[in-house]
Amino acid sequence: MSRKTALLLLPGFAFLAAGFLVPAVAMLIAPPGEEPTAVLSRFGEMITDPYELRIIGRTVTLGLIVTALCVGLGFPIAYLLARSQGRWGGILLALAIFPLLLSNVVRTFGWLVLLGANGAIGKLLTATGLTDDPPQMLYTPLAVVLGLTQLFLPLAIISCYSAVAQVDPGLDDAARGLGAGRTRAFWSVVVPLSGPGIVVAATLVFAGSVTAYTTPYLLGGSSQRMLATQLFSYASVSVDWAAASATALIMTILVFGVSGLSALAGRRGATA
Amino acid sequence: MRARPVAASLAVLGYIIMIVPILFVVVTAFSAGRTLRFPPQGFSLTWFEAAVTYDPFMESLVSSLYLAAGATVLALLLGVPATIAIHRGKIPGKGLIEGLFLSPLIVPELVVGLALYQQLMIGLGLDNLSTLLLGHTALLLPYAVRVTGASLALADPAVEEAARGLGAGPVRAFLTVTLPLLRPGLFSAALLGFVTSFNNVPLSLLLQDREFRTLPVTMLDYVQQSYNPRIAAMATLILAATVVVAVIAERTVGFARIFGGINQ
Repeated sequence: MSRKTALLLLPGFAFLAAGFLVPAVAMLIAPPGEEPTAVLSRFGEMITDPYELRIIGRTVTLGLIVTALCVGLGFPIAYLLARSQGRWGGILLALAIFPLLLSNVVRTFGWLVLLGANGAIGKLLTATGLTDDPPQMLYTPLAVVLGLTQLFLPLAIISCYSAVAQVDPGLDDAARGLGAGRTRAFWSVVVPLSGPGIVVAATLVFAGSVTAYTTPYLLGGSSQRMLATQLFSYASVSVDWAAASATALIMTILVFGVSGLSALAGRRGATA
Repeated sequence: MRARPVAASLAVLGYIIMIVPILFVVVTAFSAGRTLRFPPQGFSLTWFEAAVTYDPFMESLVSSLYLAAGATVLALLLGVPATIAIHRGKIPGKGLIEGLFLSPLIVPELVVGLALYQQLMIGLGLDNLSTLLLGHTALLLPYAVRVTGASLALADPAVEEAARGLGAGPVRAFLTVTLPLLRPGLFSAALLGFVTSFNNVPLSLLLQDREFRTLPVTMLDYVQQSYNPRIAAMATLILAATVVVAVIAERTVGFARIFGGINQ
């Protein structure tokens, strides 16, 4: 490496090391005032503890449901957007991308107004006479799933869109010309050819859902503890560094695990 | 578009989930009532006045703007040279070095926030402003490297060599030939970086201090204490500012290009 190249890389690398790499590694081996093995042994206790397992289980389950919803709603949206032309297509695409620029706090906050005790959905249920006493909706798994789906749907749409836009519309026409119905052409031509985009979408949504903080905090509260809200409580309420670091390790393993699986799926898809 | 009833109904449901909650925030902000409820009682701009005269919101707004601007400038100043080295330099393990610069994208931000809080603020006694700036800069480096890298990959190195051949020095060749080619990439990276830093919750969450707080975290705390439309008004103001940013982005480089760079 020439000296000039090294000089170009060095300042950025120094910041990266100080602001990310070194603290992240140090957090696992040396939390303040703890033994070097404290995090690992705490990690071992956590993954066998029923209370912690319930939080991990809830985080993973809700993450899987949100992933299924985001892909299930995001793929049809991406497909219709990719196949539509003109002014409306452009406006709908912009509406799907715009939320990515908007604060998660602002986006999530709307559900408090919709699902809260004096919220719009409760009022609607009472007004239509469906029930006199609307059920608790805020601080339920449903609230968290709705909030996370709203948050990650745009990400699923753009990941699917870039894949489905590359599928030649002539191919579904060819399949239909050969006698496949519209549904069969969709499932046996469009979906398989967009496979890699769907895998990317699912990975991003799952990784985002199991690490999100704002949504479980605002919509799940203390009755729907998830890994992120639990980590915050260990770090700032009980100041238990080993537990906070071990929770961070569990979250990181989940994210790395699903990214690894998706890379593997991508490689198998490429050779198949 | 030919009729596709199943896909179309799923799409309508998806758009409802994405957009309707945001509309309800706006409607609530114009309420004349004292609590967050639906339907809002009366119409007034009282809560907007209450939001812009509320010191914790305004102070943290200024802090968040400074932090986002500082981290964006730093990330570009550090990231662009690194990108040039990665794409143009003769270095072994190019992929590994680029991967290292992109690595903050794959570790959960809350985990990075915990690491910085525990190691730098508690462990080394660093103040929270420096820690926030360091953390946000590291978080934005991947954007700077990847988005400007996409522009650089499109720019033909032969053009820069031609300029050098015609007698321009390396600095002049960079400033007059390469930099203009990078402009859309730099603009996209700056815009994405600024917005990402300004909106961030998970990384900033643990790095708060009485003296220097960020706006999104201040708003989260506010909801916990008081349940009135002041927060909806503040959220609506952020929404309006974001719409302005989005229109500028669309008019200049285009939405698709901005997000095309990061989503690969």
